[in-house]
Amino acid sequence: MEGEAAGGGRVPRQRFLLEETGFDEVPTRYRRFYRHWQGPGDSLGPNEVLCPVCKVVIRSTRELRAGDRLYCMACMTRLRVRANEAGRLEADCEY
Amino acid sequence: MPAQRSRDVVEVHDLEPAEFLAQVHSFEFWFHSVEGYLAGTSYGHRPGTREAPLTDTERERLISVLCNYCVGETAALEGASGLVSIAPNRLAKVFLSTQVVDEGRHLEVLLHRLEDLGVADPEAEVERRASPSLREFKRRLLGLVGSKDWEAALFAQNVILEAMEFTVFQSHARTADPVTAEILSGIVKDERRHIGFGENELGRRLRESPHRRARIGEVKRDLDALVLETFEETVREIGIPASERPDLGRAYLAAVARLGFP
Repeated sequence: MEGEAAGGGRVPRQRFLLEETGFDEVPTRYRRFYRHWQGPGDSLGPNEVLCPVCKVVIRSTRELRAGDRLYCMACMTRLRVRANEAGRLEADCEY
Repeated sequence: MPAQRSRDVVEVHDLEPAEFLAQVHSFEFWFHSVEGYLAGTSYGHRPGTREAPLTDTERERLISVLCNYCVGETAALEGASGLVSIAPNRLAKVFLSTQVVDEGRHLEVLLHRLEDLGVADPEAEVERRASPSLREFKRRLLGLVGSKDWEAALFAQNVILEAMEFTVFQSHARTADPVTAEILSGIVKDERRHIGFGENELGRRLRESPHRRARIGEVKRDLDALVLETFEETVREIGIPASERPDLGRAYLAAVARLGFP
């Protein structure tokens, strides 16, 4: 994963065990990296961002930081993580 | 969904971009993706899903809506199959071949649903009930494909049409009877790939050849109102109260904004 230098060096990243959440739209070996957004009561973990194209939650085994590269396999999009004005992590498409 | 600490080190996001693109555009990837949500289904729904009783009015409305979905899916089937021959590279051609299969499946399950609802001749019923604006959109889309205008045709089909279908089908699936809801939910899962392919492929083309931007702007001005009008009509038919109607243009407008169009 890229972006280690962008946020790294100070505090080690948290690591996460990704469990299956019932997401069934990609091949089995990739399913745990994605989950469906559950609506207003849902929230994103430090290892998750929402895909701006198809609104699936993208997950990583590592805490995300600005500059990281992610892939949404549900809609085949490459993304780059950034922090918005409020400091919340979002993802932009990289065509 | 709470995240958990892990010893896990395998990370999909470590793939190289070229490897990622090759994987997700492959027939192999498509096959193992659709297997996850279509295995065990029959005509797009689980065989055990029970029919909910519909009033005559509800049934009539549903038939009209499904007829228009069939027009959209026929446009997408014919459009995607035409796009295969003008796609600029092998990965796009292979991906589009999977989209052709998806669109053929969508048309088949929707026609089958019309039969389930008691329509004796579904194709004749589609002809009878099809919205004139959707027919016109289909005509113009196939014109763009026929003229081998790759970027314009891809924009019309995989950005405009697919974004509208994605939004409307998602919305309809939330309120539909259980069988129709399962069919639509399966279609939406396919549509994620189609909208993503359109936006990403077009984004790459515009990045490499910015002069193509003006042509896409022309197509956008020409077609987007036509499709928005069509799907507004459809949402009214579905019977969703005005206050609860989704902003149909939102997904589409967000996609074109990401591509740099105002």
